[in-house]
Parts: sequence; structure tokens; C-alpha cells
Amino acid sequence: MRDPDAAQTVSVCNSPAGERARRFETGLSRAGLGLVPRLGRRASDALLARLLRLLADCHPRAFEALREMPDARVLIEPVDAPVALLMRVGPEMSLHALPRGADGVGEALGKAGADAVVRGPYDKLLDLLEGRIDGDALFFRRELSISGDTALILALRNTLDGEDEMDLVADAASIAGPLARALPVLRRNAGPVLDRIDAARRLLPPPLRRGIERLEARLGGTAGTPPGGLPGKLPGMGA
Amino acid sequence: MDNFELICPAGTPAALRAAVDAGADAVYLGFRDETNARNFPGLNFTRQDVADAVDYAHARRVEVYVAINTYPQAGNLGPWRKAVDDAARLKVDAVILADPGLLDYAAKRHPDLRLHLSVQASAANVEAIRLYREAFGVRRVVLPRVLTVPEIARLNAEIDIETEVFVFGGLCPMAEGRCSLSSYATGLSPNKQGVCSPANHVRYEQRGGALASTLGGFTINVFGEGEQAGYPTLCKGRFVAGEGPAYLFEEPTSLNAMDLLPELKAAGVRALKIEGRQRGKAYIAAVVRAYREALETFAAGRPVPHIDLQAMVEGGTQTTGAYTRAWR
Repeated sequence: MRDPDAAQTVSVCNSPAGERARRFETGLSRAGLGLVPRLGRRASDALLARLLRLLADCHPRAFEALREMPDARVLIEPVDAPVALLMRVGPEMSLHALPRGADGVGEALGKAGADAVVRGPYDKLLDLLEGRIDGDALFFRRELSISGDTALILALRNTLDGEDEMDLVADAASIAGPLARALPVLRRNAGPVLDRIDAARRLLPPPLRRGIERLEARLGGTAGTPPGGLPGKLPGMGA
Repeated sequence: MDNFELICPAGTPAALRAAVDAGADAVYLGFRDETNARNFPGLNFTRQDVADAVDYAHARRVEVYVAINTYPQAGNLGPWRKAVDDAARLKVDAVILADPGLLDYAAKRHPDLRLHLSVQASAANVEAIRLYREAFGVRRVVLPRVLTVPEIARLNAEIDIETEVFVFGGLCPMAEGRCSLSSYATGLSPNKQGVCSPANHVRYEQRGGALASTLGGFTINVFGEGEQAGYPTLCKGRFVAGEGPAYLFEEPTSLNAMDLLPELKAAGVRALKIEGRQRGKAYIAAVVRAYREALETFAAGRPVPHIDLQAMVEGGTQTTGAYTRAWR
């Protein structure tokens, strides 16, 4: 029978400060993702290829399984970010950033389209990819929408969820050397620092406070996105 | 007072570690093929994964059960027999079987291997359970989710093997192991191929603010804007009959019998099972942790706490299912 002294190690940023730090980190990573396409197609593809190689080194079991899957393209579309990610699984695995235009990411996606699409708020998608949250629960609550090849999405989800610890923010930060070193410090201190910033912000005059909120929305890529609004079906999406 | 055993699901090695660390007494899992009833893409364990899982669990005094609970296809017994042989070789603590032929094979070939009767066998009466006990030496029966608590108590009074009941997760309202609804729509069933509503036959469409789920080309539900969704299974489909669309078999809802721990203990139940090998490790960690806390509190003689698991449930609703109603 079970050892009563076994360590109870399963906990996911369940302190208020931890949750605040996570929100900050999520916002920062979303803003960082928004900058990727501005590097130009070639540079952004190279950067994301490097990220994929790094992730494959950290999670060989999952990436071997993803490479063994039939060739297919999954669009991961955060509805509140300026960029979507197109992930190609199979032997020629790749990752591309698609900037959102007036019609969503349809133009950037091109005629080839995607075999499956996962849409949802950026923070939920990040939590899902890192295995911090249950995909079925998100789906039941309608916070996540999927279309296209359901089996492909399920295979991708189950493969990534089979990893013990997937820390995409830390992995992405490790590409930019100094940021990787700063991240643990940031994680330790972000919660209390943000609490102090919030306390100070509440003392500001309302017009100034609203101005800061607008600036944050622009930096986070959420300006102009209807709350909870999901874009329409993408052209060229395979089914 | 002996506490219940808590039997927890795992679809991946990471989920197994989450279940063990969160307080499982035993973890059940399946091989990566059609020999188990959760044969979904990207899910389940290779033989090496099972070997590693057994090492991890046994080091923490947690048991590992392997579900080989689909029905072998005529003329193709090989994969099922190999699964039993491999489970025995990998030194798992029990196998969970449904097919009488496979039970016979396991009992004769591996007399020391502990046999549990799967819920897929749908053994719900004294005579059936005695038969499995006497013929194959089955040590535990997982009861189908169609019995009331008083019926479970009467059953336990007349049989001399352990009983295990589901306490949390997705519900299968039909007689398990005998349901062919998925097969009608897709040609594939949980009984033979290990898949209820196989993912490659499922599609979701946004229809304005509504979400439509289809299976094998048939629309089986349309969830209105803001309405919580459920699994795309026919038993939880919403169909037009008579005056309008309605759930004819069962609503999308999850079982949660945490409040019934005293009644289940009084009824003589030995083990409590959490459903959800197809769910992510975050679900498994949260649900197992909640049930471990409830069991420890109950064992200490204190009232069973109310632990909120609402965020994890299908359709946004919870039920005590057949345990508290005269329902089949």
C-alpha cells in the first residue's frame, strides 16, 4: 500500500504572489511573441527553429513522438495575442509565427491552411501546452475551441501532457542568455513587486491610470480584440 | 478502521507520477493499443513505460494495475494474450480483464497474477460475480455504474471478493461492455477497439456563438453560447424527439460520490476508482489530491469535507448517479 510519508509534490503556483508572477510572466511572453514576426520571416523562422531544437533536447520523448506523427499542420491561435503559431508535426517538424491582420491570421496562413485549429486565451493555451491545466476542463467551459482534425489535436495534447515539466517560458528565455539568468530572480520577486506597483497605481488619478492600462493592452497585443470574441473560421482550413 | 483504497487513472507516464505523488494507492493504465478501453491518439504506455511506471510506483509503495479490458477479436487473440504475458513479466500488481476467454488464459498461464474484473464485464449480480470468482479466481470486481448503494451493500453481503466502485469522473449510463452506440455511428466501439467516439470521427463546428459536435457525420449536440460542453458521445447527445431537442439517455455530467463515503464504507466497498485516463495530468493531480484529503479526513472520523472540483467536471454539473436513485 501507499507510503504515507510520500511527498505531496503536485502544486502549481497556488500562492497569490505566485499567481501574480505567473500572470506577469505570461503577459511578458505574449508581448515577446508579438515581436517575433517583426524580425522578418527568415529571422523569425530561424529563431523558432532554434526554440524547437531546444525543446526537443529538453523533451526528447515528446518530440520523438511528434516526429513520428503523420505530416500535419496545427494552428495554435491565441485570440488575445497579435500572433498565432503554426506547428507542423511529422518528420519535417517546424514552427512559424503568423501575424494577425485585419482578417485574423488567414492571409499569413495562406492557401495551405491548417489541418486543425486550437483557439483560446493566450494564458490558457500556455497553461495547456505546459500541462498546468486540463484541456478537457477548458473545453467543457468553452474557454478553448477546436476545429478540424480532432484526432490530431488530441494526439498533440496527449503527447505534450505526457511530459513531466514543460516550462516554455524558461525554455524560450534560454535562447536569450541574459534573460534566462534573470528569469529565476524575476519569478521569485515578481509577485511582491507587482503587488507594490498595483498599490501605487491605485493612488494615481483615473485618467493616468486608464492611459497606463491602454499602453499595457497595446504592449500585450490585446488592443482592439473583442472580449472573449473568437475570430471566424479560417480560410483554407482542412477538415 | 481500514481506509478505502484509492485507485487512480493515468494515460501517460507524467500522469502516473502525478497520481502517485498526489496520493494514489494504486494507478491503473493501459498499453498503447486496442487491448484497453482508452485507446486514444497519443495516450497510453509502451512496455518500457510500464516498466518505469512500476519502478516509480513500487518505490513509493503504490501499486500498478494494467487494464486489458477490451474483448479480443475472433481469430486475433495475439495482442490480448501478449498484453497479459507482458503485464505479468513487468510485475504489475493486477490486471483488469473483462473477457472470460482472456481471464481463463491469464488464470492458467499466470496463476500468481492477481485478476480484477473490469467494469466492462458488467457483472452486477451475485451469480455472475461468483462465476468469475470460482472459474478464474478473480479477486476484485469493479462494479458497473448502475447500482444503488443499498444494492451494493446487499451484493457485498453475499460475495466473498472485494468490490471497487467509481466515485468520480465521466459516466457511462449504458451497461458497460455491451454498448454499441459508438459502433453504430463510426464502426468502432469501446468494447473491441477501445474507443468510444473515436477522435478521427469527431468534428466541432462553430455555428455563430453555438458549438456543434458531430460524430461520424451526425450532429449529436449543439451547445448554445455560454452553455458548458460535454464529450461527443451518443449517450450524451441531444436529439429532437417529440416537442424538441432533449437528452434522451443522459445529460453531460460527471459522477462525484465524495459525499457518499460513509454509505459506501457501510456497504462494504473496498476500493474507490477515479475515472479519466484520457484526462490531463492537471486533472489527475487535482482530483486525486482532493480524494486523498477526503479519505484521510473520513478515516480520522471527521465529517467528509466539501472539496470543490467543479472546474473539472463535464457539462458543468455533478451527480451521484445511480448510487442515490433507482435508475438503470
